[in-house]
Amino acid sequence: MPVYRYCLLTLVCPLLLFWGCGSGENHQKEVVASGTIELTDGWARPGAKGMMSAVYLTIRNKTAYPDTLAGVSSDVAREAEVHESYKGENGMSAMRPAPDRVIKSGDNLYLQPGGLHIMLIKLKDDLAAGDSVNVLMEFRHSGARNVRLPVQAQR
Amino acid sequence: MLYLPVMKPINLMLWTFAALGISLSLAACNNPDTIIDLNNHSYELLNEDSSAVRFPGDYSGKTTLITFIYTHCPDVCPVITANMKNIQSELADTSGIRFVEITFDPERDTPSVLAEYKDVYSLNHQFSLLTGQPPEIDSLLSKLNIVAEKARIDSLQQDSSDYFMRHSNTIYIMDKQGRIRTEYPANVVPPENVIEDLQKIR
Ligand SMILES: [Cu+2]
Repeated sequence: MPVYRYCLLTLVCPLLLFWGCGSGENHQKEVVASGTIELTDGWARPGAKGMMSAVYLTIRNKTAYPDTLAGVSSDVAREAEVHESYKGENGMSAMRPAPDRVIKSGDNLYLQPGGLHIMLIKLKDDLAAGDSVNVLMEFRHSGARNVRLPVQAQR
Repeated sequence: MLYLPVMKPINLMLWTFAALGISLSLAACNNPDTIIDLNNHSYELLNEDSSAVRFPGDYSGKTTLITFIYTHCPDVCPVITANMKNIQSELADTSGIRFVEITFDPERDTPSVLAEYKDVYSLNHQFSLLTGQPPEIDSLLSKLNIVAEKARIDSLQQDSSDYFMRHSNTIYIMDKQGRIRTEYPANVVPPENVIEDLQKIR
């Protein structure tokens, strides 16, 4: 057991060190080659009129400064908010608002099932797979960004 | 030399006990123990087509995957439903298997709302979405150790019918005799883990 643990440590520590160095370098390069907020891999869940949907996407800050996701809205829903699903005591699932998320220069903010999402509250109409939705995102520094995203049951 | 005839039976006994212990624990691995026995219980529920369902009686003779959702859940519950569908589609043979999703929000999840959900997520005839009178659902959930409570998100100006829920995140396998045998974290369990147990229990 102690021998095994020692071997594991000698193996893992240098790996971690290298990994740390590597990602630091990448981080620097990307910031230099930057310019805008990039929105990719976006999609929305289907839902019936009056019900909820969730929007997922990856937000990449390619500007030289930190930015903040300050607000969201959509023409298909009465309200929209950034939320976060989380695991509480005894593995219970719950949701809480996640306003004003800061994205550092060069970083990604991942909105994914079971985590951060834009919640569309009280859909004005049925949303079915194959439809698309407009989502407006307000960034504190970069301003407003509009994206059109496909509706899919699952990705 | 003199001890040997004496030692041998004792050794033999010890080994027999050890072997018995090992085989018992192996048997337990192969055949998961009962977590909850619903055998002598019956709940009057409603299917998404409004027909009456006696639970678990109507599922006796079937091996049933059971999970818990509410349709106003926009993020985690669709992942649970997708996972149930993945288990179904990765099973080579689904004969004798049923998929049940029970709402823990019976006030809003009427049969017609559940029918809509079933349609949105393209769930086939092997799926049943069950609701019922709130007290009946409550007593079933507490028997099944499922916790669900209303929660509000303060930033939203909501009236009393607007709420989210804090809820357990569980898939169960119920055997042909109405006994709950295994339990999984519903939105993250890999389908193959559930399928492996299903094959032993079915
Ligand atoms: Cu949400």
